[in-house]
Amino acid sequence: MKVTLNWIGEFLNAERLEPENIASALTMSGTEVKKVEYIGDKYKDIVIGRVVDFSPHPDSSKLSLCEVDIGSSKLNIVCGAKNFKKEDRVAVALPGAKIKNIIIRKNKIRGQISEGMMCSEMELGLSSESEGIMILDNNCKIGDSFSKSVGLDDVVLELEITPNRPDCLSVIGIAREISTLIGAELITGKYDFQKRLNIDSKFKIEIDDYNLCPRYSAKLFRNIPNIQSPQWLKNRLILCDVRPVDLIVDLTNYVMLETGQPLHAFDKDMLYSNKIIVRRARKGENIKTIDDSIRILDDDALVIADEDKAVAIAGIMGGKDTEISENTKNVLLESANFYGPSIMRTSKKIGLRSEASNRFEKKIDPMLTVFTIRRFEDLLEKVANFKTEECIYDNFKKVKRERKINLRVGKVGQVLGKDIDAGLISGILTNLKISNRIKDNIIEATVPSFRYEDLEREIDLVEEVARIYGYDRLDSIPTSASNRRGKYSLYQKTIKDIRQALCYIGLVEVINYSFISAESLKKFKINLEDGYKNNVEILNPINEDFKLLRPMLLPALMKNIKDNINHNIKDIGIFEISKVFKKNSSGKLPFEINMLGVMLTGKAAQKGWDEEERAFDFYDLKGILEFICKRYYPYGSLRIKERQYRFFHPRISGIVNIEDLDVGIIGKIHPVIIEETETGQDAYYMELDMDKFINNIKETKKYKFVPAFPSIDIDLAIVVDNKIKSEDIVNEIKESGTELLKKIRLFDIYRGEQIEKDKKSMAYSLSFRDDARTLKDTEIEIIVNRILESLGRKFNARIRE
Amino acid sequence: MSKKEKNIDQLEKKIKTELDNFTRELETVKNLIELDKIRTKYIGKKSFLIKTLKNIGDLPDDIKPIAGKKSNTARNKVESDILKKEKIFKNIEYENKLRKESIDLSLPGRSTGTGRKNIISQVVEEIEEIFIGMGFEIAEGPEVETDYYNFEALNTPRGHPARSLHDTFFISKDILMRTHTSPVQIRYMESHKPPLLIIVPGKVYRRDYDVSHTPMFTQIEGLVIDKGINFGNLKWTLETFAHEIFGKDRKVRFRPHYFPFTEPSAEVDVSCNICGGKGCRVCSGSGWLEILGAGMVDPNLYSFVGYNPEEVSGFAFGMGIERICMLRYGIDDLRLFFENDLRFINQF
Repeated sequence: MKVTLNWIGEFLNAERLEPENIASALTMSGTEVKKVEYIGDKYKDIVIGRVVDFSPHPDSSKLSLCEVDIGSSKLNIVCGAKNFKKEDRVAVALPGAKIKNIIIRKNKIRGQISEGMMCSEMELGLSSESEGIMILDNNCKIGDSFSKSVGLDDVVLELEITPNRPDCLSVIGIAREISTLIGAELITGKYDFQKRLNIDSKFKIEIDDYNLCPRYSAKLFRNIPNIQSPQWLKNRLILCDVRPVDLIVDLTNYVMLETGQPLHAFDKDMLYSNKIIVRRARKGENIKTIDDSIRILDDDALVIADEDKAVAIAGIMGGKDTEISENTKNVLLESANFYGPSIMRTSKKIGLRSEASNRFEKKIDPMLTVFTIRRFEDLLEKVANFKTEECIYDNFKKVKRERKINLRVGKVGQVLGKDIDAGLISGILTNLKISNRIKDNIIEATVPSFRYEDLEREIDLVEEVARIYGYDRLDSIPTSASNRRGKYSLYQKTIKDIRQALCYIGLVEVINYSFISAESLKKFKINLEDGYKNNVEILNPINEDFKLLRPMLLPALMKNIKDNINHNIKDIGIFEISKVFKKNSSGKLPFEINMLGVMLTGKAAQKGWDEEERAFDFYDLKGILEFICKRYYPYGSLRIKERQYRFFHPRISGIVNIEDLDVGIIGKIHPVIIEETETGQDAYYMELDMDKFINNIKETKKYKFVPAFPSIDIDLAIVVDNKIKSEDIVNEIKESGTELLKKIRLFDIYRGEQIEKDKKSMAYSLSFRDDARTLKDTEIEIIVNRILESLGRKFNARIRE
Repeated sequence: MSKKEKNIDQLEKKIKTELDNFTRELETVKNLIELDKIRTKYIGKKSFLIKTLKNIGDLPDDIKPIAGKKSNTARNKVESDILKKEKIFKNIEYENKLRKESIDLSLPGRSTGTGRKNIISQVVEEIEEIFIGMGFEIAEGPEVETDYYNFEALNTPRGHPARSLHDTFFISKDILMRTHTSPVQIRYMESHKPPLLIIVPGKVYRRDYDVSHTPMFTQIEGLVIDKGINFGNLKWTLETFAHEIFGKDRKVRFRPHYFPFTEPSAEVDVSCNICGGKGCRVCSGSGWLEILGAGMVDPNLYSFVGYNPEEVSGFAFGMGIERICMLRYGIDDLRLFFENDLRFINQF
């Protein structure tokens, strides 16, 4: 919200408001000042001039030579506009002035001296377009500074008003805050309007539900003057980001900015009768609003209606049919109070937020309605010398708007960590217009109407005291609870360690949005796989790409490698640890599973001066899997169970099984998907359920004495059918290798000329050891023979000579 | 001169001549092979000194000890001189050998992995460690939440004006993507008794997408509840944190603010490091950079979790991780964090 200091100054009994001090005091008391804008500076060296005379430029039919009186002297100015006449008051930019970032200089235009420039509204930044120069009111004093003459000698404060302070959404509200902060008296008009309420019954206001509309006040203005708003008023609106329209609209806006109470002006003659009804909309009832849209309403929307139809959506926007126009003669001014949550709901439902709805949402003080009408009358009288009728119509079901709260002085010290003197607390509350008295270390406070919604409890008053006392004056106190021991849980520690370990072995961590499109799931055929089918759907996604919560990380990681390949980074190892989501039964929160995804593509090793190039393949990925596994399952068995997934290569696709628990999947991305996603190179992917992986870890690490006797290592190469799996051979070797066999390591696979077609040679290194003695070669020979025998029997294997 | 003295004198002279010859010859030795020859000549089996020592038994008894001692001393000298010389030659030989083994040290080393932890994880872990050092534990909660935990139990019932500050993704009428990590406060309080000190890192979601908003971002929430916790404790904790993460030289200030679930509430700023507090484009002229929101836990919350507000009190705080990264590294587009351009990630 923007307010100007001059405007605020009208309500404060203060000599001078120092912008920086005011800004800092507001910020440090909870009304953050985002920006301080010195408007006057923009109009430096622009003064009021009087056109003395003008004649055509000798060399140009478009230009005129003007003589302009600026009080201290008369200037010759070449001007391209035609819309002025002798004696007009104009804004003259003198040499040195800055107009649209260009510095004005004395120069020659087509051979004629020009000592300045007569400015248009656009050039002065007062409108986005304008024809001709700006003609000012004849009351403007020649030679005076332009900004001062038209109310632009001002400072604009841009404020952030928190939702608990609807009272601060107004110039008077801010003036009230400042009055508390700097100790200056707040002056608002004291109007005695009781005598004027409902003194005639020419107009009727009917309210169906006082819960939704606690108060509706209105006033008739007949034969309104058909004049423009004065420049100063327009300028104030412009400074507060409101576009001037016509006198009545400008005044409703101006007064709303000033008091915080939204007003709406109806063209009285367009209303069906002398009656306003505040009621719920009929289901499906529609209304054309002033922005020319047809709005279809639900029966929980509140409307302002005449006896024929809805003429406004209460608190949100007026109707087109009853809108003020240049032909409007009689105006019905509405100043009403609507129930915030209802306005919020309707505004959300029809997707329409307005300055008014934004204010009503936050619950406005119903005491403001008539006061605001009075301000409107005052201003109308001031700018148009217009006297109105006496009667103000007011339908108000009186509600209690005063609240008593007891504040314990001790509580203030308890919450803030610093004891504050009762007298000081009482003084702060008094400055906040909260009347109070001290009684036995308890302050009995009475909250005024304008803070009724916000200040309900003792703690609310503690906050008021704290923010005015100043947070910077409160002590910084080490917390006594800090003698506790902080730590990561085992789960958290493991996640952190896995992340770190994966980085150490060369992977880069990515983080993607949790959202995915249905199309993407389809593209990866994930939608066809059981276990990934039940997706969680967002009701109001940003767009189709963000429609679902992802059931797996694969598509995002594929996109990551593709994007990077497009940037010519082609050798990539990435991982992500994020939640994936699966639908639960209705009404329950979805399942969230913490998933680790790893993807490899491109080269595992670049060609180097001493290294051979090598592409990533399945075994690089499996190596990473084994690496993680060994850290946490030093004695656990890891198996890849063959299982086809539609997104994996049909022959390179499996389930990761650790200690008989399926914890993930691993495989090569299906070539068709590589093609369809235009990735252009093979990729390998693995996904591990971190919850299962970590929760299944057993504390198995135990000390075993370091072997004292040497081992005997035997190399064994056997020839078997190509289709025999290494895993089966190893299991068989283990079976017949006795407990003396401590380690088996595959060190070579050979296929080729030296052995038959369809066969392969598998070479294993076997390590035998006894913890109690040195083994003899002869006993190992017996074991190895037994191994060979069983391999021969099982796999038709023979030893390779 | 007695016979004994004469014999000894004779032996001494011979030894001296032998040593003189040895010293002279040793000086001319050029390599290990020549040194070996000298070794054989002077302390080999057939050398004078060794023969003398071997035959010492044949000498008269009164000469034996002196002769033995003299020849032994001589032999030791020869031996040690040869060893010294040998060391020198060996060193030279090594040097010559190693000289030939020189490599180009400027060649690049064989590559190991160049992995990188995501900047968000780095900063989250850094913050976690700061708070762990202050006695905090780490709690987590679901990213998809109920309206109750995300709003209702945090003093933000339906129709509350603060709801419009959070543009929410809905899964159903009552289930939504959490808009902050604060629901974990309620969940944790429900299942734990004070004293408690936790921080809660995690992803949060809001329906917004532009240069300064992404539909998902990362928050860290903090909660401290115990007997007698006050605003001064909040100030100390967050000042300590700000100094740890941004540096001891940065000023920290607390500004009153509003959050539905804390009271009194504050926003915390650190002095701008770009302009040193004078005001610049980065801090939009204020000299301060907002880093987090905080406040004393609103007593109403305790009624949702069964604590007695007259017995315990506490404070809570929350911060956006990406924002802290942006302030620290001068990153100007929030969307970069989730584009996963390796050229971005690998910078940190």
